[in-house]
Amino acid sequence: MMSANAPLVSIKSLRKSYGPYIQVLKGLDIEMKPGERVVVIGPSGGGKSTLLRVMMGLEKIDSGSITFGGEPYISSKGSDKKTVIDTEVRRSIGMVFQHYTLFPHLNVTQNLILAPCKVRGENKVSATKRAHALLDRFGLGAKANAYPAQLSGGQKQRVAIARALMLDPKLMLFDEVTSALDPELVAEVEQVILQLAAQNMPMMIVTHDMWFAKNIASRVIFCAGGVVVEDGPPEQVLGSPKEERTRDFIDRVFHIRH
Amino acid sequence: MALDFSIILRFQEALALGLWMTIKLTLICVVLGCSLGFLVGLARTSRRSLLRAISGVYVEFFRGTPVLIQLFWIFFCLPLILGVELSNLASGVIALTLYMGAITSETFRASLKSIGPEQLDACVALGLPRRVQVTNVILPQAVLRAVPTLLSNCVSLFKESALVSAVGMADLMFVGQNISNNTARPVEVLTVVAIIYFVIAFPLTRAVTLVERRVLAKLAI
Ligand SMILES: Nc1ncnc2c1ncn2[C@@H]1O[C@H](COP(=O)(O)OP(=O)(O)OP(=O)(O)O)[C@@H](O)[C@H]1O
Ligand SMILES: [Mg+2]
Repeated sequence: MMSANAPLVSIKSLRKSYGPYIQVLKGLDIEMKPGERVVVIGPSGGGKSTLLRVMMGLEKIDSGSITFGGEPYISSKGSDKKTVIDTEVRRSIGMVFQHYTLFPHLNVTQNLILAPCKVRGENKVSATKRAHALLDRFGLGAKANAYPAQLSGGQKQRVAIARALMLDPKLMLFDEVTSALDPELVAEVEQVILQLAAQNMPMMIVTHDMWFAKNIASRVIFCAGGVVVEDGPPEQVLGSPKEERTRDFIDRVFHIRH
Repeated sequence: MALDFSIILRFQEALALGLWMTIKLTLICVVLGCSLGFLVGLARTSRRSLLRAISGVYVEFFRGTPVLIQLFWIFFCLPLILGVELSNLASGVIALTLYMGAITSETFRASLKSIGPEQLDACVALGLPRRVQVTNVILPQAVLRAVPTLLSNCVSLFKESALVSAVGMADLMFVGQNISNNTARPVEVLTVVAIIYFVIAFPLTRAVTLVERRVLAKLAI
């Protein structure tokens, strides 16, 4: 059971490499409290996507562990360091990617109800009802029977968010979900995520959008070279960072002058 | 010598029987060949190197040798190896199924490969079990993407099936040759036979375009 002060997610000495030479995460420690909205920023290739993919159970790890709600669900075990993933615990986590990942052969409603029906055994009628309610809430009611190819990028990403929410996640991971969008479509997706934030959905967000980061974060982590360089409230990390590397990065990427 | 197509009318029934044999043979081999092709396509994209090697040899052999020789081989050598007499139809079915399996496996392999890794990421993120990933996400997309090429494969098979006449199966081609020999009117008879093949194959090739425009464009896959 989760107590009020226990961490929601606890990442300990997480190491991850691709092949023998590319070390991406070099001993990462992050503790996330319930209700927190953590924005992860950092230079390209710094391992932000890798971190989220590991948390989602999409990548093997070298060593370390991650617990969710006190339950260890990702760890490496045995002499051969096999990555062990507790899929039951992982189901509490939802993720939306930078690339569009809707199933192209299924319409919007079918995309939303596939997992609830196949994973939880929910009946089609009730899943469809929930799907339509969710689509209405995201301003997509008219698109319930459209196929992904008939949607704009912004609509696709909103559907992808709705699809993840159908499984009632306790934590949402967003990896640069607006990076592939035309600028005029970014706001509609960010609005949906802000709407979730207003309902206290815990989330971890990777973004390069300064405005969005400021508005959504309850905490910002600057991650570079596979470790956490700076970690604190958004005013500090984005406004007056303590670490020089953070300052350089923010100056460069977000064009903020002090 | 003037062309006289009226001669064909006398052989309507024989031609119809031959056509029926051609269609029957094609349909059976389309079903069996596509099933074989899908399994071989999976084997060729498998993680097990032995499966990949065996299926690779099979495909390259059947794609790289003339179908006529494959046919002769199966008609005359397979019964010797198996020690049983095979009916003409059985031999024809085996030969063309193996041929169809080889060419459609390439079609399926390409369509399986074209399903991006992000689709699998989404499956995992949604907690879909492996069985559901295959039946509800991978298989339908692989089949949909393969449909245009599969239709072309079917047209090829339909036309290639004329080769079975060379080993004495009474298909449309065989009947046509017989009539042309007996009437000494090869131009008229073979022209009509070609038209019959065309009348059936042409709508199928048009169907390829239709599927591409209507279905695949709508889904953008
Ligand atoms: N599947 C992979 N195989 C090999 N190397 C990889 C793989 N995925 C990522 N990498 C490498 O790992 C490093 C970290 O990548 P990652 O995508 O996690 O960075 P990122 O912080 O998300 O960067 P960006 O801001 O560009 O998205 C990069 O150097 C990248 O080239
Ligand atoms: Mg990334």
